[in-house]
Amino acid sequence: MSIKYFAAETGTNLWRNRLMSLAAIFTVAISLSLVGSALLIKQGVSTATAEWKGNVQLLVFLQPKISPTEFTAVEDQLHQLPAVKSFSYVPRAQAYADFRRLLANQPDLVNAVPESAVPTFLRVSLVNPAETRAVAAIFQGQPGVDTVNDNFSAINTITTVSNVAQTVILAVAIILLVSAAVLILNVIRVAIFSRRREVAVMRLVGATNSFIQIPFMLEGLVQGLIGALVATGVVILVKSLIGYAISHFHMHLLEGFVLTSHNLIETIAVIVVAGVVVGTLGSTIAVRRFLAA
Amino acid sequence: MIKFENVSKSYSKGSPAVRDISFEIDRGEFVFLIGSSGSGKTTLIRLMIREEKPDDGTIWVAGKNLVTMPNWKVPHFRRNVGVIFQDFRLLPNKTVAQNVAFALQVIGKPNRFIATQVPQILRLVGLEDKMERFPHQLSGGEQQRVAIARAFVNRPLILLADEPTGNLDPDTSWGVMNLLERINRTGTAVVMATHDVGIVDSMRRRVIEIDYGHLSRDQVRGVYGLGV
Repeated sequence: MSIKYFAAETGTNLWRNRLMSLAAIFTVAISLSLVGSALLIKQGVSTATAEWKGNVQLLVFLQPKISPTEFTAVEDQLHQLPAVKSFSYVPRAQAYADFRRLLANQPDLVNAVPESAVPTFLRVSLVNPAETRAVAAIFQGQPGVDTVNDNFSAINTITTVSNVAQTVILAVAIILLVSAAVLILNVIRVAIFSRRREVAVMRLVGATNSFIQIPFMLEGLVQGLIGALVATGVVILVKSLIGYAISHFHMHLLEGFVLTSHNLIETIAVIVVAGVVVGTLGSTIAVRRFLAA
Repeated sequence: MIKFENVSKSYSKGSPAVRDISFEIDRGEFVFLIGSSGSGKTTLIRLMIREEKPDDGTIWVAGKNLVTMPNWKVPHFRRNVGVIFQDFRLLPNKTVAQNVAFALQVIGKPNRFIATQVPQILRLVGLEDKMERFPHQLSGGEQQRVAIARAFVNRPLILLADEPTGNLDPDTSWGVMNLLERINRTGTAVVMATHDVGIVDSMRRRVIEIDYGHLSRDQVRGVYGLGV
């Protein structure tokens, strides 16, 4: 009979205080939507940064008159260096084609440079982007090598910006979660206050504290859960909107900003657990005040 | 049944509510607790249901020492004590029957038990034809009888009444008093705080008078005014 009583009581209470319940649900939904979106963005930034970092490349430009021995020496060295993940030789024809493609919007420049003036080069990927400088120094000034180009400083800037961004987003998410908890506690406290007569009668006739508490806890739990489900919908929407925006507006810089369904499931799990915990805890703390004997 | 030994209680604001009070009430007694407003009657009632703890002294109710009783035992203790108030304290959004049933539900009584007990107790208080009404559709006297039904449905050994006729006209008050007397005849001790002179004088029951927190009189078959 108890389970039936608690279910019925929770249902009636939710319906009878539907405006308050809605307020609580919306509070949870909005807070958790923000938290969830923040987490998603953080994950996206994190994968994007990893992608950018993985893309650190050294371009070893070769002198036009490099001798085969010098070329083999450079290649051998690349083979031996543990810091080198892989490398490939870009022959003149391909280098010229790349050059034409990249600068297609500047036809004057493209036409002024003959194929013979385009240098050949080796494209080198590294195991650890942090070693870029050191590896570049090895080849700089080596016979047959013209210059070594690295995009290390650019990557460095991106990494710093992304670290700061992730910290800020995480801080915002935590602040939002805490304010969500406080808001829920207050909403449920008001809901309980509006039912203090019932609680007073229950205590008067000898209902145990747990008996009085359970419907309120269930109510908070249901509110937290519904709010979390709404937030889940919002987060799924946010994810597809981000995906759409990146592909539709050709934001190539953000191509690494990939949100996997694994990210999504993780975020949803966090949201649902947070909703349930915050709802139940909030109502438990709120009802305890009225039960202080 | 109820035993106060040198009980004192003061609130942080104002003067002590009750000072060094001792009395004993036996099983099946009917006792009036009289005194002017603010004399400490309500404090005594609150002490008897352990809504308050005394600063000093010992209180025994229904065989339990309320001073040493841990908080978690209070709900089960309260099931042995019925209480009614001047303001009825019914739940406005429940019907008469639901108000009474609620008291049984929340102490975990089975539905079948509730289904038989509620009509029976409402017949006892004379409200069997108003079970589906809401409290605001009833007169004050009828509401108080619902409150009595709720307090008595669990057949407690003690019924405490804090100015139960305070909001009622004389005729209605007598209806409530007759009901309390009938309940008393079933063996339930009734303790009623009141300052209704007419009722006390004509019932001629034991009177305990509280005067500024002191017990000033404890008289068998007493009246409201001094001596006989």
